[in-house]
Amino acid sequence: MITHRWPAAQTPERVVLLGARGFIGSSIRKQLDAGRIRNLALSSAELNLAEAAAADKLAAALKATDAVVMLAALTPDKARDIATLMKNLAMMQNTCAAIAKTGCAHMVYFSSDAVYDGAVSRVSEDTPASPQDLYGTMHYTREIMARSLTGVPVLVLRPTLIYGLDDTHNSYGPNRFRRAAQKDGKITLFGDGEETRDHIHVDDVAALTLRCLLRRSTGILNAATGTSHSFREVAEAVSKQSRIAVEIVKTPRGNPITHRHYDVANTIKAFPDIRFIPLEEGVARVHREMLEKS
Amino acid sequence: MSDVLVGFAGMTHLGVNSAAAALARGFRVVGYDPDREVIEALRRGGPPAVEPGLPDVLRRHASRANYTADIADLSRCDLVYIASDVPTDGSGASDLAGIRRLIEGVSGALARGAVVVVLCQVPPGFTRALALPGERLFYQVETLVFGEAVERAMHPERIILGCANPSATLPAALGKFLSAFACPILPMRYESAEVAKIAINCCLVSSVSVANTLAELCEHLGAAWSEIAPALKLDRRIGQHAYLAPGLGIAGGNLERDLATVCKLADAHGTDAGVVRAWIANSRHRRDWALQTLHGAVLSKLEDPVIAVLGLAYKQNTHSTKNSASLALLAHLAPFRVRIFDPVVPATAIPNPRCHAASSELDACEGADALAIMTPWPQFGTLDPVQVARKLRGKLVLDPYAVLKAVACRAAGLEYHTLGLNPDGIRTEQ
Repeated sequence: MITHRWPAAQTPERVVLLGARGFIGSSIRKQLDAGRIRNLALSSAELNLAEAAAADKLAAALKATDAVVMLAALTPDKARDIATLMKNLAMMQNTCAAIAKTGCAHMVYFSSDAVYDGAVSRVSEDTPASPQDLYGTMHYTREIMARSLTGVPVLVLRPTLIYGLDDTHNSYGPNRFRRAAQKDGKITLFGDGEETRDHIHVDDVAALTLRCLLRRSTGILNAATGTSHSFREVAEAVSKQSRIAVEIVKTPRGNPITHRHYDVANTIKAFPDIRFIPLEEGVARVHREMLEKS
Repeated sequence: MSDVLVGFAGMTHLGVNSAAAALARGFRVVGYDPDREVIEALRRGGPPAVEPGLPDVLRRHASRANYTADIADLSRCDLVYIASDVPTDGSGASDLAGIRRLIEGVSGALARGAVVVVLCQVPPGFTRALALPGERLFYQVETLVFGEAVERAMHPERIILGCANPSATLPAALGKFLSAFACPILPMRYESAEVAKIAINCCLVSSVSVANTLAELCEHLGAAWSEIAPALKLDRRIGQHAYLAPGLGIAGGNLERDLATVCKLADAHGTDAGVVRAWIANSRHRRDWALQTLHGAVLSKLEDPVIAVLGLAYKQNTHSTKNSASLALLAHLAPFRVRIFDPVVPATAIPNPRCHAASSELDACEGADALAIMTPWPQFGTLDPVQVARKLRGKLVLDPYAVLKAVACRAAGLEYHTLGLNPDGIRTEQ
């Protein structure tokens, strides 16, 4: 459950995005710009948070009235080793040191649903965090680091599987299926794609982040739609968009079927009029954007 | 008429209904409460609680009742029941300061040899720790059910009595009073009786949790819980009166209190209360059914929707709104226009500036995009779905307790949702 520090929406004085050039950061920035919300977008090119000098550099750029959105992280597609974990922790250490020095009015930490045990099939914010790998451990540790900042209202967002045109990751799901359909005319499923997951469009994640910034929300919130689909359904939605016939291929199953559903009651309570893009519509939107871009 | 004079300290819901049962069983009663307004209202025939049959019982036996705000009047009683409210906090934990003060006051007023019976929900160990002689101190398990309080107080299945010495003969006045109820009397040690009360409530919550869990599953499987529950009730291991109706979470405060007590004691003693915590989690989960269904069908789709809500009380036939699912829903509908009607609870209970206090059920439905029937008041069951459909602007009807007939609603063109049934399964239900 989250708490709104501002009873009605207000525009934050300035939003500082750390990790602004990434897939989610870009989408948030677009929405900030569209809403004419002043922002400072920092990417690793301007500020490498892993460097020792990063804390001072960031402190010099920050104002005590800023809302800071921390998205910067080395993601598992880059590496999953201990060294990556330590670099990620160093980035957060520097971020926290800068905020401790300058102060900030609001911090939104972008965590991940990897903090939950993957075997749990129904997840809400009350589900105990129990990370099973270094990536999940990293995010959970960084959440605690953020919450340890004295006097800073902190919101932790835990997004589930995000999809969108600019996603550079190629993990199993809408993005990989779209690329495979385009390239090979074939989508390969594990087993028959029976597993269910919640896929959220990146624009919905950005919109949710904006809502939280405008209400100065604190606490923990999962970023999920509340509707799960099997990977076969996702593949069929992708296939429906393709101009060419797409073959959906079953393969022998190597792992047992697991499911993941989100109880989004807390999101609805926080924002009763919130809407999420239905999967089929989101997949169609990504497809349209892809065609426009090409 | 019996010569035993029975006192009730605390003209609460529990106290006044228990007093009514004593009157109806032929006893003279002293009803004490420090609140003079409550006493004045009782003297005028107005009970402080809404219960079917209560005003009638009190009126018929008024000549044997003496209501007083003077605690000294209890000095004439042969036995005095302690029937105060024991408030709970948000986590269900009891605040025992009030009952302790009351018992202290009553003890000072009692005649020599008079008996004290604690009738409130207290945690195990409470009664034995009181500074009263064991031969004059008892704990009686109350099994009050809001909406059926008089009936249950008049006709208990059994009387569970916590005693300092369970094998000792009961004091004459207490024995005479209890035997008037013509049911088994089960004397046991104080702690056993205190835990028995908790055990009863745990069994009830357990049944409701089974119903909630499987009813939710039914909504996805094409099964109808309404078909399953009667079959379970014919199983003698489960029983006709089992709590198998799915609901919107535990409410009312008393069940929550006992669950909180079990968790607290289990934590203190290192025993396993995982299942109790699961019941609590399930209760919270089901409480959101109406909000989630409304969100999916209306709130996320329409601009500035209007929602009609029938019922504010936590259950039918009561004015109590403690942990009411309706109020929980309305708390999250603050940004929207709502039209509210409850036969007893005024709409002023809702701090929503966009709330319209409707004059009737159909007035609430006027122009609304959705209707949520949040309390199963019997009178809501007489609503004609055709008229409801005419009044509503939208078609959505949430009827968690199945007050209306699903098939009739469907026939009237309404999109009908109830617990334990997928809306698409309504045509094949009957």
